[in-house]
Parts: sequence; C-alpha cells; structure tokens
Amino acid sequence: MSATAVAQRLKTEWETPKSLWGKFATVDHKEIGIRYIVTALVFMCIGGIEALIVRVQLARPDAALVSPEVYDQLFTMHGITMIFWYAQPILSGFAIYVIPMMIGARDMALPRLNAFTYWAFLLSGILVYIAPCMGQAPHAGWFAYVPYTLYQYSPSHGMDFYAMSLILFTISMTGGAVNFILTIMRQRAPGMSINRMPLFVYSTFTISWVSIFAMPALTAACVFLELDRRWGTHFYTIAHGGSAILWQQLFWFFGHPWVYIIFLPATGMLSMIIPIFSRRPIVGYPWVAVSTILTGAVGFSVWMHHMFTVGMSDMSMSFFSAGSMMISIFTTVQIFAWVATLWKGRLVMTTAMHYALGSIAVLIVGGLNGVVTGIIPLDWQAHNTYFVVSHIHYVLIGGNMFPVFAALFYWFPKMTGKMLNESLGKWSFWICFVGFNVAFFPMQILGFIGMPRRVYTYPAGLGWSSMNMLETAGAFVLGIGILLIFINVFISRRRGRIAGRNPWNADTLEWATDSPPEAYAFVHLPTVASRHPLWDDHDEEADPSDERTLDDGRLTLVSTWLDAEPYAVASMPKETLVPLLACLTLFGFFLALVFQLMWLVLGCFLVTLSFAFYWLWPRPEAEEGA
Amino acid sequence: MMAAAAPVQATRLPRQPGTRYPLDKSRGEWAMWLTIATEGSLFVCLFASYFYLANNKNRWAIDHPPKLHYALIMLAVLLSSSFVLHWGESQLKKQRYVAARVGLGITILMGLGFLALSAFEYMEHWKDLTPDSNSYGSIFYTIVSFHAAHVIMGLLMLSYTLTLPRYSPTSRSPYRPYHVAGLYWHFVDIVWVFVVAFLYVMPNVRVYGF
Repeated sequence: MSATAVAQRLKTEWETPKSLWGKFATVDHKEIGIRYIVTALVFMCIGGIEALIVRVQLARPDAALVSPEVYDQLFTMHGITMIFWYAQPILSGFAIYVIPMMIGARDMALPRLNAFTYWAFLLSGILVYIAPCMGQAPHAGWFAYVPYTLYQYSPSHGMDFYAMSLILFTISMTGGAVNFILTIMRQRAPGMSINRMPLFVYSTFTISWVSIFAMPALTAACVFLELDRRWGTHFYTIAHGGSAILWQQLFWFFGHPWVYIIFLPATGMLSMIIPIFSRRPIVGYPWVAVSTILTGAVGFSVWMHHMFTVGMSDMSMSFFSAGSMMISIFTTVQIFAWVATLWKGRLVMTTAMHYALGSIAVLIVGGLNGVVTGIIPLDWQAHNTYFVVSHIHYVLIGGNMFPVFAALFYWFPKMTGKMLNESLGKWSFWICFVGFNVAFFPMQILGFIGMPRRVYTYPAGLGWSSMNMLETAGAFVLGIGILLIFINVFISRRRGRIAGRNPWNADTLEWATDSPPEAYAFVHLPTVASRHPLWDDHDEEADPSDERTLDDGRLTLVSTWLDAEPYAVASMPKETLVPLLACLTLFGFFLALVFQLMWLVLGCFLVTLSFAFYWLWPRPEAEEGA
Repeated sequence: MMAAAAPVQATRLPRQPGTRYPLDKSRGEWAMWLTIATEGSLFVCLFASYFYLANNKNRWAIDHPPKLHYALIMLAVLLSSSFVLHWGESQLKKQRYVAARVGLGITILMGLGFLALSAFEYMEHWKDLTPDSNSYGSIFYTIVSFHAAHVIMGLLMLSYTLTLPRYSPTSRSPYRPYHVAGLYWHFVDIVWVFVVAFLYVMPNVRVYGF
C-alpha cells in the first residue's frame, strides 16, 4: 500500500466530522487540549479584570469604588478563578495537546473521559459564575475559612455555589489525572523507557498521582461545609463539638499539594523549553526527574505551614517547618539544572526563552520569600499581610503564568502551523515583566510595614498610599502586556510566518508531526532509541513492512510501563455526545443541590447514571481489527 | 539505573510480520484501580476527620458506644458476598456462564440484604443520635452513609454487569466488566471492615475493654 493511501485511510478513520455535531461530540485530544487552553485563558481574563477592579479600589486611601461586600466577592472570585479555573486547566490543556504526541501515541488512553473532563471543567466554571450573576458570589477568600462561611454568617447561596462547583471540579480533575496516568504508563512509544521520558511527561505524571490522593480532601471538606450550611450537621460548629480547624486541615491537606499541581507541570515546560533554546540536552536529567517526583511526594507533608498562626504543638511546628524548607531543595535542584543548562549552552533568545528566563528570575524571588514564610517567627510576622499576597503571586506568576506564556510561544506553531510574532512577543515580555514587578514587589515592603491582606480600604497617612498607587499602575501595565499576547495570537493565527514541522529544531516526538498535526498524528507510530528522538540518528518512523501504521480502525500501541515494550493494540472510541450529555445532567445535579431541590437532584442523578450505562455498553466496532 | 544504562537499541517488535498484537484488555481495570485509589483516599479523609473530632475529647459526645450486633452481621454478609463474587468470577474464567451469573445474582442479593440491615441499624441508632445532635452524630452518619452510597454504586455496577449481553452485539465474554465491577465491590467490602473497626469496635473497646 502506498504511503498516501495509508494516510488517507488513517484520516478517514481518525478525523472528526466538520459539523456542529462533530464540535460537541469530538474526542480528539488536540481539539480538547486547545479548548482547555482557550477556556482557561478566558477565565484568566475574567479573573484579571476582577483583580484590576480590586487594585483600582486600593489605589487611593479611603476609596469607595465598590461596596465592601462587592470587594470581598471580587477578590474571592479572582482567587478561585485563577487558582482553580485558570492555573491547573491551562497546564492540563497543554499536556492533553502535547503529551500523546510527545510519547508517540495517537490519543489519550480514555478519549471519551477526556471530553468528559473538559465539559466538567467548563461547566463547573459556569456553575461558580452563576453566583455573581445572582449577586451572591462567594466572599470568603479562596480558602473559605469557617466559621465565616457557615450559614449564620454567609446566608446567601454564594458559598453553596463555591462548594458544589468545587466538587464538580474535583471530578474533572480526578478524571483527568486517571487519564494522564493511563496514557503515560501504557501508551509510550516502543523504546521510550522511563529513563527516556521527556521531563514535561514526568511532571504531569507526578501531579496526576498527587491529584488522585489530594483531591478527595477538598471533596470531603466541601461536603462537610454544605452539610453544615444546609443540613444542620456540626462538623465545623464549635458549640456542638465540631472544630473550625478541621476545615483548615482538610483544605490545606488538599491545598498545598495543589500548589505543586499547578507548579510542577510548569517546571516541566521550562525543562523542555530551556534546553531547546540552549541548544543542548538538559544538565542532570535524572536529578530533575527525581526531584520532580520528590516534590510531589513531600508536598503532602507541608500543609500545616499554612496554619502556623493557628496554634499547634512544637513538634508539629518543627516537622512542618522542616518539611517546608526541605521541599525548597527539590525546587532548587531544578533551578540549578536550568542554570547549568544555560551556562553550558548557546542561547537562542526567542520570546519563549525570554519568558522562561523571566520565570526563573521571578521564581527565585518567590521561592526565597517562601522560605521566609517557612521560618515560623517570620511567618507569624508576615501572616495575613501583603507579604503573603506578594509571595503567592511571585510563585504563581513565576511558576505558572510565565512558563505558560513560554509554552504558548513554544507550542503555538505546532498547534496552528503559524509562528507568533517575535518582536511583538518580546515587547509583551518586557511589559509583563516590568509591570509584574512594579505591581508585586512593593507588596513585600507593604506587608512588613503592616498592611493586612484583603482590607477593603485604608486611611491616608499610614505610608501605604504611594506604594499602593504604584502597584495599581504596575497591574495595569501587566494587563497591557497580556493584552499584547492576545493581539499577537489573533494576528499571527492569520498572518504569521509558516512554521513547518520543527521550527525550533526541537528533540521530542511531537515535532515529527505536521503543523498543525493530522488527527492521527503519525502515519507510522514511532519507536524511540534515546532521550532526544529527533536529535539522534535513529529513524523513528522506519517501518518497512507497515507494521506500525495500524490503519484498520482507531488503534494505538500499548506498551509496558517501565521499558515501553509493546504488547497490545488499544482500540479507541469514536465521537460521541454522551460525555457532554452526562456532564450536563451532572451540572444539573450540582445546581439542584445548591438550592436543595432534592427531587431534581434524584432525577439528574438517575439520568446521569443512564448516560453512564449507555456510555459503557459494549459496542461491536471495538472488536474490529482484533 | 538511569544514567548507567548502555545505549539501547530501539525496541524491535518481536512478532511475525503480518500478525498483530492482541487487543488491549486491561484499560478498564487500570482505571478502576485508580478510582479505588482516589475513593480510598476519600475514606482516609473521612476517617481522619473522625479521629480529629474525637481527639477533641471534652466535646466528643459519644455517650454510648454503638451496638455491635448489626454491624458484625453486616460485616459477615458483605465479606461473604465478596467470596461468592470471587467464586462467580472463577466460574466465568472456566466459561461456565450460567454459574457466573448465578454467583453475581447472589452477590447482588447479599448486597441488598446489607442495605436492608443498615436500614434497621439506622432506625435503632436514630432513637438517641441524629446527624444534627452533635459532631459525633454528624461524622458517624456521614461515614456510614458514604459507605452505603458506595454499596449502592457497587450494586448498580454489578446489576449492570448482570444485564450485559454475552453473544450480541459483541462476541467477547463479559469477563472484563465482571472483573472490573468486582474489584470495586471488593473495595467497598474492605472499607466496611475499617468502618466496623473504627466506628463500632474501637469505641466499645475504649469503654468496656477487650
């Protein structure tokens, strides 16, 4: 069979019909990955606008741009939007798009679950944004401490929306984690043993395991909260033997691993991007891989450092303080590996590289003031001040947003076939970098001279006014920088330079596909003989007798998890509306729970269940090609 | 292990040309193990909350430790149902489909029996403890109800497996769904062991000793 005939067969097998039905029914990881990215960026814009309103309110002393209640809702919505609906989903988006191709597979292991987790992510975001549309947004900060969030103090439906949308979100997260683990453990190209896995795959793999074990704590915390609020139980009410600290324990047992869930994949991105633009393999690959895994593991034993001011035994304080400082070692290992790579490399200063370097700079500041908050006496001083606000933004913008922008510039050519404009990109970088530091560096000083976080306003004459004005100006400059990135994306999608297969001369397998890739990605599923498939002499797609085309069905290879020896062929499902429909009824289930419409809850549950049964019903086509 | 490895050739595919690897059959089982891992950590969080609240000694309003008889009977029912299900699965492997379905049916009946017993258990408890009486009542009923919800989910899975066709529309045996749903059922059963140990036996031991 000629190569074009094979390609044609694969195309008819894999391509989603270009119809309205196809849009809602698609299970293609490339389509879903881009949707994740776009949706997360939309949430980022919404959260960014909320942050700008907060900053305008704080720009001058005694301002009253919004009412105190609206102000509380704004910073809360900003926090949960950025932390839940932007920071993790955008990393999932890149991972869903890139990882199957990076490991030489044709799709995620569970494509329909992949579609389901996307819809669950989108609908949970919509669910939480119904609340502000009703004028009843959550208003207790992103970690929603009891007793303020209990019914007596927050009688509106805001906190119910918070709890229910987060439970739906954890369903999405857990499904995504299962999917990543199965994809990475089972579908790597023959020869891609674990010591040849790209580091982005390592980091996504680690955080998927972390999600499996950490997300249930959030679910439990939110279930208890909702039961306390609407069903009269006493988990958190002290008068009846409950404990307000229980919420904090459960929330932070989830919350600190979560910090690594939204941080580690971004370091994985940097470990891909920095070597490419240093034109050499990363220094200390095994060290970076191991420290990634250790960060995920040790991330479970540091949660109480969020609670040092609560009061605990000296033993606990020492343990969690030591854990918090130990974990900075693993991050430092990664940073030293990057710096050594830069040191030994020949740098190509693309926009992606600018963002990567900016990210290291910002991350070092964020990491250092993180160590400060790990030291208990200093933490007692800095707790609940603007110092902590500065810390979280230095870590999350250095450890998530800048790497994401680097990844956007790096993988955009693969996704669209067009290059982003480099000079506009560098402008956007410098504007973002300057704007960010102007916005957030003064907060460290403000924190130490006593400005608490989350205050509605402050009187003049405390010496806070000029720095607050400066921060607001910086926030707007950062906003302009981000706006430039969006302008760049919109222009370059149409008019950008044609990228070709591998514009960066990169080493991983996704660059062996067309830009944008065909639905089936590879005509011949590749084999791998080194850590840098496209840099070595091995011909990945050499397959003279067409053994690895697998063109008689939607098929991909399954291999062993350590050595990636192929042992089976997995049959992939076709397009279906069921994930969307199941998600819509699940959305109805949680929406009905917010208002305690129990018959509707039961109805939605039964309909969701019947969709699940239809989903799982065996289909004859799955047997073809066996 | 990593750095010391000699340069390895790309893995060759050790097959005759023209033959195909077998169709993958283990995806669902892997996904179920991960589901069990995450559900297991949900129960770990629930038990941790139970002990955290119990540690609050002067506020822990456990007046009488819960009576053991229903819980132990329920434990016996659930654990033996696991053995029945395992027997059914072994019949399935020997391609004795009717026996396998009978095993599955008996398991479902035993699961329903468990739910009926827990209804009695609830009624007995409800007289002097409700979820809104105190934190002990809240966490007790939450854990027991979460477990009951998992039993119901397990029963739904098993009933679904019972209805799966053997001959049409596919030719494959119902072994995989049987095995995967079975894994979940065994998990639910094991959780009950911990519920009995932590919520029923330990308070009794504290009060009455061994």
